[in-house]
Amino acid sequence: MNVMRPMPAGQVGRSVPRLEARQKVTGRADYVHNVVVPGMLYTKVFRSTVAHGRILSIDTSAAEALEGVYRVVTGEDIKTIVPEPYYGPAFHDQPVLALEKVRHVGEPVAVVLAEDPYIAAEAVQLITAEYEELEPVFDEVEAVTSKAVVHEVLRPAGTFPDLKHLVGRRDTNVALDYQLRRGDVDAAFAAADHVFEHEFRTQQTMHTPLEPMVSLAIPGHESLTIHTASQSPSFVRIEIARLLGWPENRVRVLVPHLGGGFGAKLYIKLEALVACLALLVRRPVKLSLTMEEQFYTITKHASTFRIKSSIKNGKITGRRCEVFWNGGAYADIGPRVTQKSGFTAPGPYDIENVSIDSVALYTNRPPAGALRGFGIPQLVWAYESHTDLIARDLGIDPVEFRRNNILREGREQATGTAMKDAAIEAVLDDIAQKMDWSKPFDRGTGTVKRGRGIAIGFKASISPTTSVAIVNVYGDGSCSVYLSTVDMGQGSDTAMAQIVAETLGIETENVKVIHPDTDVTPYDMATLGSRSTFHMGHAVKLAAQHARDQLTELAASLGLPAGTNYGPKELFKKKYGMQAGNIVGVGSYIPEYTSPAPETGLSANVTPFWMVGGTGVEIEVDTETGHVKILRMINAADLGRALNPKVVETQLSGAALMQLGFTLFENMEYDNGQVTNASFADYKIPGIHDIPARIENDIVEAEQTNGPYGAKGVGESATFGVSPAIANAIHDAVGVRLTEMPLTPESVFRAIRAKKG
Amino acid sequence: MDSTSRQIRFTLNGRPVSARVESHLDLVDLLRRFDLFGARESCGQGLCGCCTVLVDGVAVSGCLTLAQLVDGKSVTTVESLDESGELSHVQQAFIDEGAFQCGFCTPGFVMMAHELLKQNPDPNETEIRDYLAGNLCRCAAYPEIIRAVRSAADRMRPA
Amino acid sequence: MRGFELVHPASLDEAIKLLDVDDPTVRPFSGGTALMLMMKTGVFQPSILVHLGGLEAEHAAVAVTPEGGLRIGALATLTSVEHSAEVVRVAPVIPRAMKRLANVRVRNVARIGGNLAHGDPHMDLPPVLSSLGGAVTVRGPGGTRSIPIEGLFSGYYETVLTRGELITDVTLPSQRGWASAYLKCTTRSADDWPTLGVAVSLKVTDGAIAESRVMVSAATEKLTRLPSAEAVLKGANAGEDAVARAADAAAAEAETIDDARGSAEYKTELLRVYVKRALGEAIRNGAVQ
Repeated sequence: MNVMRPMPAGQVGRSVPRLEARQKVTGRADYVHNVVVPGMLYTKVFRSTVAHGRILSIDTSAAEALEGVYRVVTGEDIKTIVPEPYYGPAFHDQPVLALEKVRHVGEPVAVVLAEDPYIAAEAVQLITAEYEELEPVFDEVEAVTSKAVVHEVLRPAGTFPDLKHLVGRRDTNVALDYQLRRGDVDAAFAAADHVFEHEFRTQQTMHTPLEPMVSLAIPGHESLTIHTASQSPSFVRIEIARLLGWPENRVRVLVPHLGGGFGAKLYIKLEALVACLALLVRRPVKLSLTMEEQFYTITKHASTFRIKSSIKNGKITGRRCEVFWNGGAYADIGPRVTQKSGFTAPGPYDIENVSIDSVALYTNRPPAGALRGFGIPQLVWAYESHTDLIARDLGIDPVEFRRNNILREGREQATGTAMKDAAIEAVLDDIAQKMDWSKPFDRGTGTVKRGRGIAIGFKASISPTTSVAIVNVYGDGSCSVYLSTVDMGQGSDTAMAQIVAETLGIETENVKVIHPDTDVTPYDMATLGSRSTFHMGHAVKLAAQHARDQLTELAASLGLPAGTNYGPKELFKKKYGMQAGNIVGVGSYIPEYTSPAPETGLSANVTPFWMVGGTGVEIEVDTETGHVKILRMINAADLGRALNPKVVETQLSGAALMQLGFTLFENMEYDNGQVTNASFADYKIPGIHDIPARIENDIVEAEQTNGPYGAKGVGESATFGVSPAIANAIHDAVGVRLTEMPLTPESVFRAIRAKKG
Repeated sequence: MDSTSRQIRFTLNGRPVSARVESHLDLVDLLRRFDLFGARESCGQGLCGCCTVLVDGVAVSGCLTLAQLVDGKSVTTVESLDESGELSHVQQAFIDEGAFQCGFCTPGFVMMAHELLKQNPDPNETEIRDYLAGNLCRCAAYPEIIRAVRSAADRMRPA
Repeated sequence: MRGFELVHPASLDEAIKLLDVDDPTVRPFSGGTALMLMMKTGVFQPSILVHLGGLEAEHAAVAVTPEGGLRIGALATLTSVEHSAEVVRVAPVIPRAMKRLANVRVRNVARIGGNLAHGDPHMDLPPVLSSLGGAVTVRGPGGTRSIPIEGLFSGYYETVLTRGELITDVTLPSQRGWASAYLKCTTRSADDWPTLGVAVSLKVTDGAIAESRVMVSAATEKLTRLPSAEAVLKGANAGEDAVARAADAAAAEAETIDDARGSAEYKTELLRVYVKRALGEAIRNGAVQ
């Protein structure tokens, strides 16, 4: 197998089934979950029961006395391995195990290591801790002025170029405040025909990948091997090496398949803990979280968005956006969420005067990070609800109003970056056309009312970030591509193989994708933010071209005429006298980027490409109960050229349905900082009965001219419009406006009642 | 060894096996001892279906089944479906319809789809949804899963 | 959940004897779906689990009684009840309710006796079976007694079963002439535990409602019968007017409770709507022949 033979072009654009399909349907795909090594210890984490407190004492004696317990470890023990055991991608704020303070319920305080996972679980129940409780803060708006301070001192990490500007501060809960000032909003408000102001809120939710987070560290001679369910093996290696003060080459990070990620498994999660434990006890250590424990580990930001717009002659002339992000107890990547999403907070509209304040806040909730959209779904929820309200109030058709104000090709977006290859209007038109928007709509009868709504959104990519790939052509002409991009279900392995195949003129199925192993595969910033297709796609294409060019040179060096029919296998044989040798192509890619000016937040180049997505829904509201039923959902996106249309379609569908859960019912509920529904019994995610009766997913005809084979990312795009489209449709059906997610039947019912008076 | 442990014998994917099993051990963990990882624990509450296996031909949640209770019984896992080297019709239909993304829940859906088609060779969409309502897919490949089950039913129907 | 003993009694009497101890860590175990959840989360740490699976042969039969009712062995799985031809004939509301009850795997192993004995107010079967006039036969150290299912529950996860008592059978009277319906309402995902369950049974003679049973679950602390709604229905014509008045009476009477699925106030409104709809559906379903 894997022998290179010439193929007609057309590997890109083919709906190739996922390369690993067979392993997945037979249950034989590799997950970290499956890995067991000799001498391995199992662990269970003892977690804080208070939201904010000073640790007075931890009593581990009873746990240590339990037969089968190998050792119990606390934060003080970790310091013997790493004197400054704080990690994080934006701030070095998160201790491997709590030190001095705990900052959220569920924070890891101690760990039991045992020969048997059941023993570890039992021993954890025997640990007790005493805390001096401190005043907590839970709400993102209150955190701005709260006397309760989650971190006394902030230490910026300085790792990523786009977060270089973070500064260390004292006695504040503000981790980052991004400001953008364009034109003069106050003047626009003063001169307007109408001014509209609203506040929208979103709730905290969780990714709940079905493969709960899991990491295994194996100590070696002056080295460490980590098997981990991670979306960012390169970052894990760098961060573990930094903590240990080691060179990168002594830390090896391997990632097989991931059972879902959605942003939960980014940067560094359990890896620092298992690394320290393995070095402490000189044995392999595995930590597998339960579904419940995931809720204490990483979440999606709750948010409050105050938005104010001025309208003159039907045009939006000014917009002020104040967004508060509830980052929880540790910043994780919240500052990037805050800034990147801040760029596009006014929405895909052409607005002369804009003021944006996007503020990342620490609170005493479990940390919040990236979740499929990096903050964009929270923003679109607000600005597209707001847009709809304005259109309704002005008596203008909501689609028409959007068209009148839409951001068109070549126009500068709020940051000052010109729009390029962003088919915003095409996405809007596609949805409107599919919905027959201009035709009369059946509004239902009796107690069941029908309505429809549309919403569109866009997103800047994560920049400037680097991807490196290697394409290795072997002696028989077969080849592999080496990359640290993680296939967590989005199909990146298949897409990357298609790019190699297209470039080398071979069959996709014959390209082997080598999974992340930092000893073998080169650097990739991370698998996040829909960046892989574009960034890694470029690197892979360059690597394949590099290999192809070397094959051409090899042929020339062997005295063969240009355009020879000799394949790689024959070339190698001719050169080495037998089946031997390699051609190694290397590709590396980093897009250009201009940091926003600190005073204005403006930049001529904040992103190498724009993601655009929108959703239209037709719904039914049971006015007697408030139940909302989605009869039809249309998702459309501009993703440039689809490398693999079938995989793209499932990405659109999956993203929209995930956002449907966040919109209608997913919600982390709290009692004094304690999550009260941290399990699937009480935190409900969409099941097969929750999906719309009809769902259509459209790939809008477009091309990303600077993308690999005209492509760009798509994993998040269909999340953008779902929530406001549904809220807009509810308004259309029953005349009430919900401004807080989730849109539960009770909230719809109450709004209907309130309207009736 | 735990004093509550006990030697059990059962049939695993058609072969007789035995194991020393503690009272608290669940069936998913028992299968791991036989290097079978297709049934996997996710929610730990019997709600997601990732741990679906058959005990005496009946679909159960492995994470809610005490391992000692399969003594004398027959246990069938997803790994049995392609023992001939050929994928089952359901498995092939899942591939052709793209009915999974990350694949973690897939063995559970495949097992349940087999059970459904055994009991009802020509299910309509409501019947498919009702039967699979106890399986969760966070990648939300539900529309494709429904199509795959229908497609598998077509493939399995005698010509 | 380590360190417990799983014992396998050979007879019901032996099981009762094993359970007749003053020790809450000794409990019966049949399908185990509910108990396993409590054990996995550490809510319940057993010392002895008395496994009843070995008694299935004698205690899992479904049979039609001479009076035309049903006798269902307590160890019958929910799946076997769902697919029983006798159940379909005598009480078709039961298999209809089963379609959306928990999930297939739970129904495959959960037993009807354990489902009732667990005392969880969110279960679907207690309202359904009690609306059909069902009772349980209970055997314990003191002998055998019969308890109407509507009187089985004494509080949140509490039943009137005493030490060592096990449900041996569920019995239903003949349903001839009775029309029944069960509706449940979920307010988060469709497969969530119900926010509200309403089961109604009506005996309609010459267009008038001679007798009725209206049961509510999930929205109340325990399974609750609503006599004021039944009083409104008694003697009334089986039409919209009576149905609406009964729904109002139900809403006025039931003591709904707040939880994550909704406020008490909202649940009361849901109850009003669902009683109305359930009665309407029962009338449309028509009486069992």
